[in-house]
Amino acid sequence: MAPSYRIGVDVGGTFTDFVLVRGDGSLALRKTPTTLPDQSLGVMRGIEVLAEAEGCSARELLAATELVVHGTTTADNTMIEMTGAVTGLLTTEGHRDEIELRRGFKEDIWDPAAPPPVPIAPRRRRLGVPERLDFRGEVVRPLDEDAVRAAARRLARQDVESVAVCLLFSYVNPAHEQRVREILAEELPRARVSLSHEVMPTAPEFERTSTTLVDAYVGPRVETYLRRLEQALRDAGYARDLLIMQSNGGIMTADFLAKKAVAVLGSGPTGGVMGACAVGERAGVRDFVAVDMGGTSYEACLVRDARPRIESFWNWRHRYLVGLPMVQMHSIGAGGGSIASVEAGALRVGPESAGADPGPICYGRGGTRPTVTDANVVLGYLNPEALCGGEFKLDTDGLGEALEREIGAPLGLDAVGAAHGIFRIVNANMANAIRRVSSHAGVDPRDLSMVVYGGNGPVHAGQQAEELGIRRLLVPKTSPAFSALGLLIADYVVEAQRSYIAPAGRADAAHVNGRLDEMEAQALDELRLAGLGASDVDFERSLTLCYPGQTFDMPVPAVLTDGRLAEGDLERSIDAFHDLHQELHSYAMRDEEPVVRGVRVQAVGRTPKPFRKGAAGSDRGAASGAAPVSRRPAWFGEQFLDTPVYDGDRLGPGQRLEGPAIVEEQFTTIVLAPGHRAELDAAGNYVVELG
Amino acid sequence: ATTPILNQSNERNATILDGRGRLAALSVGIPQFMLSSTLPVRFALEFFGAEGLYPGDVLVANDPYHGGGHLPDYNVFAPVFAGDELALIASIQCHHADTGGGMPGGYNAEAIDIWAEGVRFPAVKVYERGEERRDVLYMMKVNNRTPSFMGDLRAQIGAAQIGVRRLGEIVERYGADAVRGAVDHSIAYAARRFREEVASWPDGRYEADAWVDHDPIGNPDIQVHVAVSVDGDRLTVDFSGSDERQDLKAYSSFGNTRGYVVAQLATMMDPAIPKNEGFFDSIDLVVPKGCVLNPHEGRTVAAGTHHPGVEVGEAIAKALAQVLPERSCPQIYKLGMPTVIYGQQPDSGEVFVDHSVDVLAAYCNAVKDQDGWGSMPASFGNLIRATAEINESIFPVRHECCDYRTDSGGPGQWRGCPGSRVVKRVLVPASVTTYMVGMKYPMSGVAGGADGAPNHLTVRAGTEHAEPVPCMANAIPHGAGEAFEYLYGGGGGWGDPLERDPRAVCEDALDEYVSVEAAERDYGVVLRGSVEGCDLAVDAEATRALRERLRAARAGQGGA
Repeated sequence: MAPSYRIGVDVGGTFTDFVLVRGDGSLALRKTPTTLPDQSLGVMRGIEVLAEAEGCSARELLAATELVVHGTTTADNTMIEMTGAVTGLLTTEGHRDEIELRRGFKEDIWDPAAPPPVPIAPRRRRLGVPERLDFRGEVVRPLDEDAVRAAARRLARQDVESVAVCLLFSYVNPAHEQRVREILAEELPRARVSLSHEVMPTAPEFERTSTTLVDAYVGPRVETYLRRLEQALRDAGYARDLLIMQSNGGIMTADFLAKKAVAVLGSGPTGGVMGACAVGERAGVRDFVAVDMGGTSYEACLVRDARPRIESFWNWRHRYLVGLPMVQMHSIGAGGGSIASVEAGALRVGPESAGADPGPICYGRGGTRPTVTDANVVLGYLNPEALCGGEFKLDTDGLGEALEREIGAPLGLDAVGAAHGIFRIVNANMANAIRRVSSHAGVDPRDLSMVVYGGNGPVHAGQQAEELGIRRLLVPKTSPAFSALGLLIADYVVEAQRSYIAPAGRADAAHVNGRLDEMEAQALDELRLAGLGASDVDFERSLTLCYPGQTFDMPVPAVLTDGRLAEGDLERSIDAFHDLHQELHSYAMRDEEPVVRGVRVQAVGRTPKPFRKGAAGSDRGAASGAAPVSRRPAWFGEQFLDTPVYDGDRLGPGQRLEGPAIVEEQFTTIVLAPGHRAELDAAGNYVVELG
Repeated sequence: ATTPILNQSNERNATILDGRGRLAALSVGIPQFMLSSTLPVRFALEFFGAEGLYPGDVLVANDPYHGGGHLPDYNVFAPVFAGDELALIASIQCHHADTGGGMPGGYNAEAIDIWAEGVRFPAVKVYERGEERRDVLYMMKVNNRTPSFMGDLRAQIGAAQIGVRRLGEIVERYGADAVRGAVDHSIAYAARRFREEVASWPDGRYEADAWVDHDPIGNPDIQVHVAVSVDGDRLTVDFSGSDERQDLKAYSSFGNTRGYVVAQLATMMDPAIPKNEGFFDSIDLVVPKGCVLNPHEGRTVAAGTHHPGVEVGEAIAKALAQVLPERSCPQIYKLGMPTVIYGQQPDSGEVFVDHSVDVLAAYCNAVKDQDGWGSMPASFGNLIRATAEINESIFPVRHECCDYRTDSGGPGQWRGCPGSRVVKRVLVPASVTTYMVGMKYPMSGVAGGADGAPNHLTVRAGTEHAEPVPCMANAIPHGAGEAFEYLYGGGGGWGDPLERDPRAVCEDALDEYVSVEAAERDYGVVLRGSVEGCDLAVDAEATRALRERLRAARAGQGGA
């Protein structure tokens, strides 16, 4: 067996998706139900399923696998459920409550009854310790070590498992935080410790405290999970590193992320966005919304010029601020499993999901509350016999009655009317999510395309596009496990930053170059551990600058000579800052001398992309001009139309389809309404044009 | 923007108005300021006339007697044309660190009149037909003390120009008719939803008073009186009977009063109703000319934006609490004015002005089913507060403490949020100016909840010159290394504290929001164990007995 498999594994709320890329570039997709709380069981089960399909054992498959990349929701689930570690926080005395003060931020300024976030560290586990540095990092008040010990013992009495430490100006001088770690190691030897200057070495303290606290809170669970999965894979014969998607769109080793757990928030959906960028770019689509509809949630991400927006400022996730670079997306509770209900005479869909178990009524596992998937079966969009290429049998007995009873009766509708209502409401919710990401960026959705994925995305996307005036959709054949595929497309990314404050004209080039040396060496060490050599790594170096008195600094790509500041480079970097400021804020102050606030390095380790043979499609037979395999009535407009159903596996490049039509792919269904036209391109994407 | 109050604190509001100066949409920084954005624009429309405004114009206005709140709030706006027709107006308001006048910092609380408070700009063009008016901008620059003023103003002008560009694209794409239709629809929708809410309130006339301790020179007990009348879906808010003294130093301009009325009412309704002209259209507002909430031209208003400005909201909340206690939560503050630290940078000798818009907690009331939390009342808005690390990098001031102070949240079945103990130490000689209220009249409790703890400020704390500030701290000199200590007031409680779940009181004591002593005194809850030992527990039997005694004593007092 050729030792060249690559496996992408994305854990969703309902299903765990797998993509297997073979040595020749061909693909196989699989899905297994997500297992909770230990997602690794479902992952290992899926690897067995993949092996079975390849005709080998899991051990043989993994021994021949060169790469496993994983998107996990462990960190997000921990924050959604607030089931992280018993966490303590040590701060500089007098700053114990800043995390709760939140710089004054409240999510809804018009609702006095809006509740606070669940505290990660309630006040009894937030303790100030006497010590103080000034903004230059000089010691104003030495660390009171006895007080640290007393605080540690008070945390120990509360069975604290994880401690975040955030002392003022530690990003300039980490000595006090490092000493606190030593003391904690003596007093609380079993606790995990997150030091703020390591998690996020930048000002200001609220952002750094919040990020460090989230790291401390999700850390033990994420670390346990990653170690367990790593071990399970190793025991099953996988000899390489387990790689994990980060919130910044890059991958890193599980070992690296076990120590920086906060960076895996949003891990799975980020994989999908990175995949959408790659697929879009190959298809010549650079401005689009990437939409991912699975069983539980729906994510929308705006992509401009083939890149998602990545921001490190004011990222609120699960009601906590995370000040690390994160791909920006908007998530709502809308998926195939979303439960419909009638409340106060109005039809509501989601955010509650029936998940995989019991799942929708039609799964026949005891579900009694109608879901989006149930509505789609009644409307004829989904095959009423079975999903997943016949592997997953449906039980539609009594489905219409259930819809009529739960939804139709209170609203005066029959089963089909109820189903159509559910379909329209969930589409409207998703269209609103798209409007939110587009209008916040000042973009008219009519100027955008859509890249559609997730198991349920292609059933619904056409209707959202109609509502928003979007004319073109790209639906990859790999749509149902697209996030898993995206994981295999991503590059390694290590971010590093250092605080260095100086008037730009007088910045010390030798100092900046020294920080660059340091950060690049550190990043290379990390990437070497992941098996990369220096020649595989590109560095993006930037200076963060601002005008005097500004607090929101702005990263500007540094103008360098052979990667280092040379004579005249600083002046050119300052010009670049003025230009960028003009572009983004419509003014520049060229007679002001900007201030350097920091130096950043992004180390990108390139990975080979799984697009060989030009086929991102399924590996099964393909022929152009295929005929429908069956017909069934499907609801369009106000009536059932006799609709041709195609088997996606029999469609080849150049195949054209005219709505109304339904394409059944192995793990998804593409619904083309009347007026929608699709063509399968050579890369394995259905390019759908509307109107 | 280069001043911390702007670039960190988000003390800015962007609004879109239609061609008639009606509020169409907004992005909120601070509600009442955004709600005072429309009247200055309407003055400009009236003054220049439709034919006097051109594509490429940008205007600046800050005058309280031409629709504004107070002089430091600069409203920068620019017209968007559809052909010859004025279609929309992009407007952005920011609070500036200085505005000229008799005192640095924009709050000349002892000014004899508006002219001593600063320079008035009723509506001036700083750009005309796309050309910068250098003479006007230069005049504005030399009338301002702070070197960062022009950077902030340019940021604001830039924002208005971006707004015009973006809105222009929308107008071009959809046409003026579609834009007008969308604005009309949105305003009509808000008005309809507002009226539906009002219709669900019991008809009647509800009166209440709110009080300001004193104006900045000590004139005591400034009264804000309101009568809120509900008649079907109509709402009348009448401030007749409010203070009519003419020698006060703090008045709330009409635009400011009008903004606070809507800011308070909006928190008592479905938060999803879009905030636009539909609110103003649905309220019959009566504010007699000459009273403290609608002064004759020339009166000082710098401090009045806050007091008696916020008491407008407090009075409305207290009036409606009689019939809607679960909705009526005063969404205000008792800040007086920000504590301004003024001095010279040690290295450059440049003037610095620290407005102390730092992280601190205060004035956050409880509501039914929810303890007060966070740092500020919800409707204080998206004012993002400055942090120690950023401010200490800019100002020679050290932030030593902003922790909650135990027992400062008003007791209640739901507890008010505690206020902060703030200690700031100056590292160079500097002066401290502020105006104190909320000592005699702290944040009110609702429905039987107790008031929050009052404010208390000590200047030169910890030295032999330490003294409390009874009313106005006017440029109190602090030597290098001296500090002030500001104990900020807490939020009021909601409901009877003896009804609070004893376990919640125990949790509060473990978290030191409430002391063990106050648990007994204020809540009638007896706790065993210690905070340090992390083993506090409710003594249920003793609690029951104590609560009975307290209720009996209360009944006795009531009978006496």
